[in-house]
Amino acid sequence: MSKVLATYNIKGGVGKTSAAVNLAYLAARDNHHVLLWDLDPQGASTFLFRVKPKVKGGGRRLVRGKSEVEPLIKGTDHERLDLLPADFSYRHMDLALDSTKHPTRRLAKVLAPLAADYDYVFLDCPPSISLVSESVFEAADALLVPLVPATLSSRTFDQLRRVVSENGDGPSVLAFFSMYDRRKRLHREVMDGLRDGVLQAGIPAAADVERMGVKRTAVAAFAPRSRAAQAYEELWREVRESL
Amino acid sequence: MTANGAQYLLPDGIRLGAAREALAAQTGLLEDGSRSRVDRTFYDTFDGRLHAAGLALVQADGRLSLLGMDAYGERSSAPFETAPERIFGSELPAGRLRDQVVPLLDVRALTPIARTRSEMLALRMLNGDDKTIARLVVESCTAQGPKRGLRKLRSRVHVLPVRGYEGAAERLKQQLETQVGLVRAPAPLHDEAVSVAGGTPGGLPATLELPLGPAQRADAAAAQVLQRLLGTIEVNLPGTLADVDTEFLHDLRVAVRRTRALQRELRGVFAPEPLARFREGFRWLQAVTGPTRDLDVYLLDFARFREALPGPAGADLDALEQVLIDERKNAQRRMSRALRSDKAVTLLADWSAFVEELVQSPDDERPDARTPIGELAGARIRKVYRQMVKRGQAIDDSGPAEALHDLRKQGKELRYLLEFFAILFPADVVRPMVKKLKALQDVLGRFQDAEVQAGMLHAHREAVAARENGAAALMAMGLLVDRLERDQAAARAEFGERFAAFAAPRQRELVEKTFV
Repeated sequence: MSKVLATYNIKGGVGKTSAAVNLAYLAARDNHHVLLWDLDPQGASTFLFRVKPKVKGGGRRLVRGKSEVEPLIKGTDHERLDLLPADFSYRHMDLALDSTKHPTRRLAKVLAPLAADYDYVFLDCPPSISLVSESVFEAADALLVPLVPATLSSRTFDQLRRVVSENGDGPSVLAFFSMYDRRKRLHREVMDGLRDGVLQAGIPAAADVERMGVKRTAVAAFAPRSRAAQAYEELWREVRESL
Repeated sequence: MTANGAQYLLPDGIRLGAAREALAAQTGLLEDGSRSRVDRTFYDTFDGRLHAAGLALVQADGRLSLLGMDAYGERSSAPFETAPERIFGSELPAGRLRDQVVPLLDVRALTPIARTRSEMLALRMLNGDDKTIARLVVESCTAQGPKRGLRKLRSRVHVLPVRGYEGAAERLKQQLETQVGLVRAPAPLHDEAVSVAGGTPGGLPATLELPLGPAQRADAAAAQVLQRLLGTIEVNLPGTLADVDTEFLHDLRVAVRRTRALQRELRGVFAPEPLARFREGFRWLQAVTGPTRDLDVYLLDFARFREALPGPAGADLDALEQVLIDERKNAQRRMSRALRSDKAVTLLADWSAFVEELVQSPDDERPDARTPIGELAGARIRKVYRQMVKRGQAIDDSGPAEALHDLRKQGKELRYLLEFFAILFPADVVRPMVKKLKALQDVLGRFQDAEVQAGMLHAHREAVAARENGAAALMAMGLLVDRLERDQAAARAEFGERFAAFAAPRQRELVEKTFV
């Protein structure tokens, strides 16, 4: 059975896609068979893997179980790492889910036939709190939550933990600091005040992470010794141990 | 995945670098830059179960990988540091590789079938976005021969499709064939390595289907079948002696039993004196291998024993299991001694020579030697079937257990005859007949197994009582005996219905009409 990990935050621009792409890359490098499902209609991880953001039949047919998932999967430049691409129609995924009988179970159902093929499935989620996220909570074994140290981040984190715990046997929540800058006083203060329930490893704000858009691959693939690549290594190690 | 990978042979003497340059120039491929050297040990079961499923299992670089056989695309992998002489499914690390391999193995062990050393160059085909759409691996390989000598294999190019870009791999294969002029490898690399090591790629066929004709002399047909059976005995002997897995002994014993059935059923094709000697020899062979097999069966069934007991009582059987394991060790030792003895070696050598010379030997004492096999086999099948019908009809609800056991023995005989000579008769008669016979044998088997197992439990009471926690085990064994008695009663209750189908008037008519 594969482990399903979702990078999730209500807010956008906090490093979800970078985390999904880099952790998926590292998992595949460690000889695991990995699928990344880019659920974000903007298709950033799809772009990073040089795949066309197109799902034959669209997202609606896929989540309603009308399209088979296997033929939609694309291999990437990296061995053992496959991608289920984004599609612009994913922006209406809430509506598509809402028209099904058990909307929150749909994503898990789409993934079910792939359980024997992959050791890890990463879900790169769009920033929102919606039916899509509820469906993600149902499918995922763990949520990987990037937190940018700011005044409201602890509130957001608490909210999320509350929502997930309402779900009974929901996923575990693995939060980590993202895009932090130790030189900023605010970041230091927030990080020191919010140690509880947050992973040790974090991802600093780094130019190498931004360069992923130009290099179109994971940081560890083009700058394996960089500070950012090392940070993802540590994050991956801690996530794996927490599962 | 829809497109398959493929392996192509490179012309002899071409170096890897030169091959890469030629491929890059002619197909527009870019180099990936990775060059590697790898020592691999390929594994399969003795009967090639992974091969039959289109898979290859490889130990290399501290991992076991399950590969598709077409171009060695990886399906799953798991850490596995060494390359031992034997791996059981239960020894594989938990995870997807184990989940994919274990259902194919059943009780069979994995053993090394080939060892190779390769130099590999990886290449990628890219599209306009510099995205990988197909992979190539150029490989130069040596394989270990039977005496540890190394033999160079022909260098190869593997084409590996990238999921979702199967069209690109197809186009690449076309290019390799038409523009570069490469020829598809007739078999995967490790098949060639297996042949070099003196093995048979894909394992040995278990099939008994031989090209017999109904007009063929009966002794010639018998010799053909017996030679095949002797082959099965011989190839399973080393694995039986080395105790690799329980199937070697099982297959060896089935071949011995089939040989004995043929000695009995076609006795008129053999001269009486040597036949009596060989029948005695094979009876001995079956007897010396019996105890080990019985203990194998009990131990293979042990999980079922435990499950048959309520809740924690299953664990109380540990003392019994230990007794059986110890006993099996001794039985295996005794059996190995017998199978390595002069008596066994001479028996098999003499039998081999005897079978080979059978057709040329004088036939004045062999009344059925020249009878067409179709006629003789038909007559035997009809006769054994008739006897079974008569025997079965005499069995009522209160009859002794022996009557059912005897019927089962005869059923085995009929089954073997139908298997040996199926090719001589219409399949639409033989197949449904075998099916009905199997259904009957299944019930008879369950009936007898329950009795034999209850007997085994009874026979081990004292040995178990002497062990630690022996008392708890005895209680559990008592419960088990009750359970087995119920199983036996259930099997007996089903007997009537199964036998009625086997001996139905229509079936009898069909037998009389077909086997004449």
